[in-house]
Amino acid sequence: MINFYSFKNKSYLISLILIIFTIIIIFFKGLNLGIDFKGGLNFEVKTNLTTSQLNQYLDFVDTEREVLIKREVGSDVYSIRIESGENNPVFIEEIKNIITQNPDIQILLSEYIEPTFSEELIKNSIYALASSLLVIAIYVWIRFDWQFAASGIFALLHDVFVAIGFMSLFNIEFNLTMIAALLLIAGYSINDTIVLFDRLRSLTSNEENKDNFETNVNKSIKLNLRRTILTSFTTILALLCLVFLAPVNLTEMPIVFIFGVLIGTFSSLFLVLGIVGDLNYEAVLKARDS
Amino acid sequence: MLILKQWRLWISLLLLIGSYLFIKPNFESQTSDNKINFGLDIQGGYSYLLELNEEEYLNNLLVKTSQYIENTYSIFSNINNGQIVISKNQNLDALSNIVIQNLGLEVQEKSEKENSYIFSKQYFNKSLSDMTLNAVEIVRSRVDFLGNKELSIQKVGLNKILLEIPGDLDNNVKEVISKTAKLTLHLEKSNIVGSKTFINEETGEQVRVQEIPNITGDFIQDASLQYNQNEPVVAFSFNKEGSDLFAKMTSENVGSRFAIVLDGSLITAPVIRESITGGSGQISGGFTNETANNLAIILKSGSLPTKIKIIQEKQIGPTLGQEGVEKGVIASIIALFAITLFMIFYYKISGLFTVITIICCLSLLFAMMSLLNTTLTLPGVIGIVLTIGMCVDANVLIFERIRENFKQNIEDPKNHGFNSAYVTILDSNLTTLFAAVFLFAFGFGPIRGFSISLIIGIISSLIVTYIILKLFLNITSIKFLGLQND
Repeated sequence: MINFYSFKNKSYLISLILIIFTIIIIFFKGLNLGIDFKGGLNFEVKTNLTTSQLNQYLDFVDTEREVLIKREVGSDVYSIRIESGENNPVFIEEIKNIITQNPDIQILLSEYIEPTFSEELIKNSIYALASSLLVIAIYVWIRFDWQFAASGIFALLHDVFVAIGFMSLFNIEFNLTMIAALLLIAGYSINDTIVLFDRLRSLTSNEENKDNFETNVNKSIKLNLRRTILTSFTTILALLCLVFLAPVNLTEMPIVFIFGVLIGTFSSLFLVLGIVGDLNYEAVLKARDS
Repeated sequence: MLILKQWRLWISLLLLIGSYLFIKPNFESQTSDNKINFGLDIQGGYSYLLELNEEEYLNNLLVKTSQYIENTYSIFSNINNGQIVISKNQNLDALSNIVIQNLGLEVQEKSEKENSYIFSKQYFNKSLSDMTLNAVEIVRSRVDFLGNKELSIQKVGLNKILLEIPGDLDNNVKEVISKTAKLTLHLEKSNIVGSKTFINEETGEQVRVQEIPNITGDFIQDASLQYNQNEPVVAFSFNKEGSDLFAKMTSENVGSRFAIVLDGSLITAPVIRESITGGSGQISGGFTNETANNLAIILKSGSLPTKIKIIQEKQIGPTLGQEGVEKGVIASIIALFAITLFMIFYYKISGLFTVITIICCLSLLFAMMSLLNTTLTLPGVIGIVLTIGMCVDANVLIFERIRENFKQNIEDPKNHGFNSAYVTILDSNLTTLFAAVFLFAFGFGPIRGFSISLIIGIISSLIVTYIILKLFLNITSIKFLGLQND
């Protein structure tokens, strides 16, 4: 039987490296914030022009605004993002009109967000994220012991944070849809974790084998291993279909989520129960007996 | 027959028939309140998020309240920095605590010379929210007059309005919704005190008039596009009160000019030739058919309580949405197919049960979505895919438990396995469900679309697993489940 529990220190190290790596990437590379969080104009266009031709064409936009052109993988669709710069709706309107009137460019989608509103959206998303995390923590705390809640929330934050690092590394646009992706990862992560917690709790409450915490941890992981692999596998299978078939502007979400599933599987197999153990759960169990 | 004694059988049938009945309206042509709507990202269209000016509204409310106090109690006050300041060198007896409270005010500061009051947060938010509801109706009637049938318009937050219109872009919409449309009539005035000069932005014409309007657009009952010597003009008529005021103003001032001002800029300044008693008039001044019609619509619908600002604007061409749906449907079918193959390969008969369970789960989900008149968006589709994942996960958990119990020779492995696995499923799904509910409450746009389908999906997954999957397990001998060999 694989001794998962004995890996815990190595897993902590791996996770620490991941976290440090993420902090460094975010610090130096930053997040590729979409207009949802920054304000500005966003187009999805279909055109035969090349990237450099488009770049030249968009030279009329003044230099103070950042213009970002990205070709969506494997298609003639481009996404064009123009920063709002100093808030100037008239100019934004002009840019929009000029692009709309170009016969070589077919506009699939255009979107404008006022910078003041994007600030509100950031606040809003943080509220949404924080409140749902809090609810998860409270629920796990009520159903299990605080060690479980602490470890579950840690794993969840860990997975979400590292996924943000992944997005920064590959320059994936961070927007409202990505907040939904991050929440999906959080949901998946806590799901995986709770299944393990349930197992560990039922094993430790069993009179015969409650003494050896390490054996119980290994046993819960082993008994759930097949389920964990099967579920991750089927989820990734479904997501791969989405990656290849989703509309061009939505392919990034399943990619981020696949990464989330992988990191979530890692943290539930190697991190969470180790943390529960290190939070002195063993001692709690013993104290409860005597 | 043993199977007929299963209560789950009857409930399953009920669920399926119910799902069928609720899904059916979606395929019928007539409109119904129990249909799934498609979001703009799917069907194409355009949306505007409008924000009413909170500061301006606060100011209006302060002025109104201050005037009310002056008129009712003869107590004079100043407005300063968002506060109503009342000097103590007058008799303040009438201003009891109850009166203050009823006006929605609370004490900010009391000094020897003066008291200052602000609106309580609760009162102001309520009042702001009511004002927005009122503005929603005004915007709705404006867009309605343009002839848009399927628009959706709703209040968002305290002072925002979300307007969504499927189909092609109509440039008039933006023109019509973003105007405050405060129409005022002012008589010409030559001395500077209490006067104000308005300028026509196009012609540069200027006229100095009395600052406080003689008549406002609030009295307008109807307005329409008409032609005067082939030139488009806006004809309007006042209600009774407005007619009287208009008649009085025109009869007393024959020979002088008055200004017609819209949102602070001069439209035209005609000379009063005779008294106008019919209560109707015309505005002319270089209109095109379109601009005259837009102005008529705006006047008819009434003015918005404050300035309005478009803070988010979106246009989604129909091709992107169609492509998205086609690809999304194909992706879901392929994903479902891949999962089906895999589950049957791995779990044999039980795998087939899973597939049927998933299909039932999807029907229940769509039935509930239709019943609740939900709007399905692309993030919503992703939420549904996640639901399928959670349903598969629940099945796998149950099968693995049964298999494990079988190996350990535990008595009644099916029921025992199902029950212990279902506790785990409840724990993990409820956690996600609670999180999704909070997401829905606080989130905006795509987050809401995603969380609503996740919420409905989790509930249907929990129901079908408990009823339909368990039914299959109950009526199948463990030998045939395909879970014993390993």
